[in-house]
Formats: sequence, structure tokens, C-alpha cells
Amino acid sequence: MAAEHIIKSYDEELNRLNKMIVEMGGLAESQLAAAIDAVAKRDSELAGRVVEGDAQVDELERELDNLAIRLLALRQPMARDLREIFAALKIGSDLERICDYAANVAKRAIALAQTPPIQPVHALPRMATLALHQVKDVIDAYVERDADKALEVWRRDEELDEMYSSLFREFLTYMMEDPRNIGPCTHLLFMAKNIERIGDHATNIAENLYFLVHGKALTEVRPKGDKSSLEVVTSDRAAR
Amino acid sequence: MSLSLATRSPMPPEEAAEPTAAESPLPVKVQIKDVGFRYGKFEALKGISLPLFDRRVTAFIGPSGCGKSTLLRILNRIYELYPGQVATGEVLVDGMNILSPGLDLNLVRAKIGMVFQKPTPFPMSIHDNIAFGIRLYERLPKSELDDRIESALRRAALWEEVKDKLRQSGLGLSGGQQQRLCIARAIAVEPEILLLDEPASALDPISTQRIEELIAELKSDYCIAIVTHNMQQAARSSDYTAFMYLGELIEFDVTERIFTAPRVKRTEDYITGRFG
Repeated sequence: MAAEHIIKSYDEELNRLNKMIVEMGGLAESQLAAAIDAVAKRDSELAGRVVEGDAQVDELERELDNLAIRLLALRQPMARDLREIFAALKIGSDLERICDYAANVAKRAIALAQTPPIQPVHALPRMATLALHQVKDVIDAYVERDADKALEVWRRDEELDEMYSSLFREFLTYMMEDPRNIGPCTHLLFMAKNIERIGDHATNIAENLYFLVHGKALTEVRPKGDKSSLEVVTSDRAAR
Repeated sequence: MSLSLATRSPMPPEEAAEPTAAESPLPVKVQIKDVGFRYGKFEALKGISLPLFDRRVTAFIGPSGCGKSTLLRILNRIYELYPGQVATGEVLVDGMNILSPGLDLNLVRAKIGMVFQKPTPFPMSIHDNIAFGIRLYERLPKSELDDRIESALRRAALWEEVKDKLRQSGLGLSGGQQQRLCIARAIAVEPEILLLDEPASALDPISTQRIEELIAELKSDYCIAIVTHNMQQAARSSDYTAFMYLGELIEFDVTERIFTAPRVKRTEDYITGRFG
């Protein structure tokens, strides 16, 4: 962070805000990793812990909001300080959403563990690993205030979108092959969508970090790799 | 040292907060060109160049001794009251250099009103406080004079509070009212430019807000320059902000830009409270 303020307690409060974001980021990573582990290992107990762990993140976000509001009201921040606080508020809410999606993956893992194992389950962790990297890298970028690193994360989201598109088609194929796959594949599809959304929140964080560092919005158009919203199942294709 | 916008042309920056400013460049009321100032051996101002746009408020901020008040004093040549002080460069008001020696000082000061940190009402009635300034420049019939006084007091948002006691002493008013009386006195002579040197720093928060609201209203008629130590005040009440340090202009930009993402690190350090 930049040179110290004349008023030391101001620095302490900004550091606390920073630490809270890093703590939330750490939790988001571990929640997502555990949720994916629970899917791959069909571990309902682990999944249950992820679902319960979500409350902790919600509590952290409330604390973060309170501290940010306090800083805004009492310190009347300007320039970089203002951007620090504004970014922390937005990044905090992105991290909270990431944890919500991780919890939802965990919930579905519990449901999925009650059905017989199916083959496409293995495709999901690959996508999740990439999403996890995105979250980890963007948090690292935040710690280092590294806008270039944030930009890399932002660009890499396209890969995640493409993986989602291809998983979408894969799950569709399994469902068409055997209607008994429809239940578990629907859960898997939602999980994949959740993970794809996690990637989007990582790019939001990257955008906020870019604004924090440069004082202007990232206006480039982000490449989109997800074409699944254009997919349709035709009777012709279903018959095959 | 980087002089960000100081040496650029008098156009608002391309990222100006007001879209209209980008479409039609604002008229420049005052062009300050390479202004320097020294008393004795001390160089209080070095190569200051910036525009003051008409019907806009420009705030000058910076630590004590940075030269912001000195600059304001140059703009109406008050500095000449003290011997041994020399200003160089040009201050063009509507294209006319008011620093040129041959110019009639009274004409300059009729065009440019000034209000100081401490309210300075004269020890006379509210009515006469305002009439005094007008009489320096014009002879008006009584009814016209009274109209002018009422209009000035109305524009200074003081009329309702004093209309029944115009013959009472201006010294009997509260600090905030006295300051608005001084603003009324300044605008009664129908100037084009208003210079405000810390106009609210001796006032309580409510009076301060009244003054700020007044500035917001007055800017539709005047080119206003305000020196303030209160950065929130600069942020709230100005359209453009100039940051000065050790007699130099460090950064001049749209106020919104200065307080959200200044270009020069020294500006940022100052407004975020990292040095002072």
C-alpha cells in the first residue's frame, strides 16, 4: 500500500479491511475446493460442512460492510483511499457470491451421492480446478495490487466459458442416451453453471482491482466462450 | 516536477466530468499565464498557468504557505498595498492583462470582488455596508440604490434575515450572517469575478453550508475562485480544482477527477492525508 497516513489509525483500519478481503478470499478458495472434493469423492459429510461454512462468509461480509461504512462516514476518504474502500465493498460481495455458489455445488453433491455413480462426474473437477485457479490468482493479484495479473485472470475466463459449453453438450448427450441420467446430469449441469458463474465473479474482482489500481474502469470487451445459451435440442438430434 | 495540466491549453481535460464541457469548451474568464511572485528574495509563486472558466467554481487547495492565497491576491492586485512585492507574468481577464501597470486599479477591483476568511463588515449599518461599495463606483438615486442593496442581500441569501433591521449595525450580525453581508457587499458593485479566500473557515457547519449553497447559486452569474483548507468543501463546491505546493501548481483538473483519481502522486498524498 502507499505511504502512511498522518493519522495512523486510518492506516490500521484500511489494513483491517484489506485483511478481511484476503480472509474471505481464502475461505472462498477452501469452500470451493472442498465442494469439488465432495462431488468427486461422493462425500456427503464434507459437503455438509461446506454448506454450514457458508454462514461464516456471510458474517465476514457483514463485518466488512460495517467497517467500510464506518470508514466512509468517519474518514471521508478521497482518491486511492476511496477506491480501496469502494473496491473492498464490491470484491467482498463477489466473494460472498462465490461462496454461495460453492455451497450450492456442495448441496447438489449430497443429492448426487444418493444416485448411482455416473461417468460424466469426472469432467466437472477439471473445470472446477480452473475456476479455483482463477479465484486464487485474482486474490493474489489483490494482495499484490497487481492490475496486470488481474487482467490475465479476466482474459482467462473465456477458457472457463468454453469448458462450460462443452460440458453442457456432454451432459446433454448423456441425458439423451439414457433418461435415468437426467436426474444426476441436471445436478451436474447446475454445478457446472455455478462454477462458470464463480469464474464470472472472479472477473468482476479483476475489474474492481483494475479500477482500484488505475482509477478508471476496464473498458475492453471481454471475450465470451460460453455458447450454451444458444444451444437447442432438436427432435432430430434427440432421435440419434 | 510534473505540471500535469498546468501547461496545457485552457481546454477542460478530455475526461471532463460534464459532457457539455467536452462538446463546447467553456469560455475562459481569467487566463493566468506564467505568473510568478516574490517578496524580497522569497519566491512565493513560480510559473503558475491555468484558466478560470466563466460561471464555474475553481478551488485552490494545498498546504499552508503553498501560495494559494497569494495567487488570489494577485488576481485583484491587493498585493500592491505592500511595498517590495513583485508579480510577473500575465493575468488576462477577458483578454486584458490586469497586471499591466497603466491599468486603473479601481476598474480592476470593480470587476473582481473579494471576500476574506474573517468577515470584515464595516462599523456601520447593514444598509451602509453595502451602499459604501456602490458609492465608490456610481452615484445612484436613493430608490435605485435601495433596490440594488435589496437585490444584493437577496442574492447573498441574507435579505429575509435582515430586511427589518437594515439600519442596525452590521457588527451585530452572527459570524455567518456577517460573511454573507460581505458577499452581498462584494456582489453589489456587480463584479464579474468573485474571489473567496477561506470564506467559511471561521464559521459553524450550518453557516458553512449556507455559504456553500450560496456559492452554488452565485456561480450561474460569476466566475468564482475559492481558496480553502477544507478539502471536503473544495470537493463539494467546486467544478475545477487546482492543487498547489511550495509555490507551484502541481495539478489542475476537473474536481471529480482530482478527488477520485488524481494523476500526480503528490496530489494524491495530500488529499488522502499522507503529508501536510
